[in-house]
Amino acid sequence: MSQADAALAFTIGIGLALRGCGLLLGGALRPDHPAIAWASAVSVATLAAFVTLAIAAPAGLLATVPLAARLAGLAAGFLAFRLLPGRLLPAMGAGLAALLLARALTG
Amino acid sequence: MAQALGAPALAMGATFLAFGAAVAEAGLSLPWALLCTGAVYGMAGQLVLLQLAAGGGAALPATIAATAANARFLPMAVAIAPLLGRGGRRWLVLPFIAITPWAAGMRVLPGLPDAARLPWFLGFALASWCAAMAATAAGHLAAPLLPAEFRAALLFANPLYFALLLAADAARPGVAPALLAGILAAPLAFAVGGAWGLPLAGLLGGTLAFLWNRLR
Repeated sequence: MSQADAALAFTIGIGLALRGCGLLLGGALRPDHPAIAWASAVSVATLAAFVTLAIAAPAGLLATVPLAARLAGLAAGFLAFRLLPGRLLPAMGAGLAALLLARALTG
Repeated sequence: MAQALGAPALAMGATFLAFGAAVAEAGLSLPWALLCTGAVYGMAGQLVLLQLAAGGGAALPATIAATAANARFLPMAVAIAPLLGRGGRRWLVLPFIAITPWAAGMRVLPGLPDAARLPWFLGFALASWCAAMAATAAGHLAAPLLPAEFRAALLFANPLYFALLLAADAARPGVAPALLAGILAAPLAFAVGGAWGLPLAGLLGGTLAFLWNRLR
């Protein structure tokens, strides 16, 4: 078993355990219990750090896209999401279109 | 089921399409992609897992980082459990507690009679799950056929999706400090590098944000 396969197997198991604990604790613990609040904060922070790195310092093929084009895509996505509140799909479309356009312009 | 295949599912489907393409780009197989989508079924953790596992990292830090990114499963399950009744059949929802069905369930279930809640949630969740699996397969199979610039744009779809979701979530109590702490901790993850950087940054940033919320 490769490291990627082992990581996938462990992540599946722990994910099911987290969901199972939540179902067991539902009704016993309030959603604002300190342990729940801590898990939520770690989840948001990990995701925020991941997104920041994926946009500012990506690996692989995305690294071939200039930083200016990635930032243009992000800005266009946010702008569209602000103009069309709650509409994820148009915002993503605007962000990806801006990325492609900015990449074409910056070479 | 019709509700599960509406506009939110299209946005969700786009992220799974992009995930399938990213797995292909990383050189991992279609079964790996499908197992990851079908059994992890939490895009944040899937992406973190893919990044670290495909980079040749060890299994342990990749698992910790992916679990931290998907740690929201715990509060989500705690919150939705009382709406699904106390019977043993509620365990059928176990693999399907993920952001799209959960958000829809929290909105719709309180307005349904008790007996209708579990069937509604299972129908919605199964339809969403099937759409996610189909999109993952399509992304993986289509990726090699696309020009490089479109593949790069597809890889950008997931960070963009989560950036928008996090921004929309920032108004909820306690979220903004964790969001800011995660962004500020990203250079630490970069400096530490390897497979341990991201879980370390998430644990440190999230814990500091939690303490900030408790103490202020």
